[in-house]
Amino acid sequence: MAFGFKRTIQSKGPDRFIINLRSDLREVIAAVCDDVLAALDDEDATHNNPMLRRVFPVAHASDESVNESYRDLVHSDLLRTRREALERVSATANDAELDRATLETWMVGLNTVRLVLGTRLDVSEDGFPQLEPDDPELPAWALYEFLGVLVGMVVDALARTA
Amino acid sequence: MIPFSAADVAPVEIDQPSIDTNLDVDRPWIVLVWNDPINLMSYVTYVLQKVFGYSHDKAESLMLDVHEKGRAVVSNGSKEKAELDVFRLHEHGLWATMQQD
Repeated sequence: MAFGFKRTIQSKGPDRFIINLRSDLREVIAAVCDDVLAALDDEDATHNNPMLRRVFPVAHASDESVNESYRDLVHSDLLRTRREALERVSATANDAELDRATLETWMVGLNTVRLVLGTRLDVSEDGFPQLEPDDPELPAWALYEFLGVLVGMVVDALARTA
Repeated sequence: MIPFSAADVAPVEIDQPSIDTNLDVDRPWIVLVWNDPINLMSYVTYVLQKVFGYSHDKAESLMLDVHEKGRAVVSNGSKEKAELDVFRLHEHGLWATMQQD
């Protein structure tokens, strides 16, 4: 990430975006996508994994029959599109330039990672908690914040060229 | 399977729907997006624009409703349309549900 001299995501028109990210941050992006992909590896295990409840939400607040028919209808599609998005982000993490479709995939893929991490951290409206410097959850919170900044910059780049 | 002639088929009795049609299927469904502490406000706005083709102003005002009131109705229609809308919102990680209005 630069220090204000250059946007992290520079748009060159609506379909071309220069990604100014350090290589170590790109490694982080690929690694977190691969982590979530591993959790999506076994379809059966995706149904009841509490860490994935925001990736596969229920369709109705209380009607279990609606939820069941919705799950039957979409779960495998939802799983497939999640996997494809994360695989694409991981595969393009080192690219210097992205087209719009790929940047939108970054937006959705990185947001998926953020949902999983945010669920694990039990994020609330209170935001970043007071943590001691040696708190074992500090790296996860730092990663969550990094992904938030990055998703925000991706959305800004897409929105200002929409 | 044994083919049979039209003469073997009993006249079809058509059940006329009663006037009092209190059928659930006639009631339109609404799609709600719920406030959540994870998704960024700018992200929710952009997704509503992308999924529904809403203007930035409309999408932003829906997002603010979600943020301030806890939820907002973002679309409505048949059960099938609601399921598709919920699916597309779920693909984008929004916390969406559907219910009969």
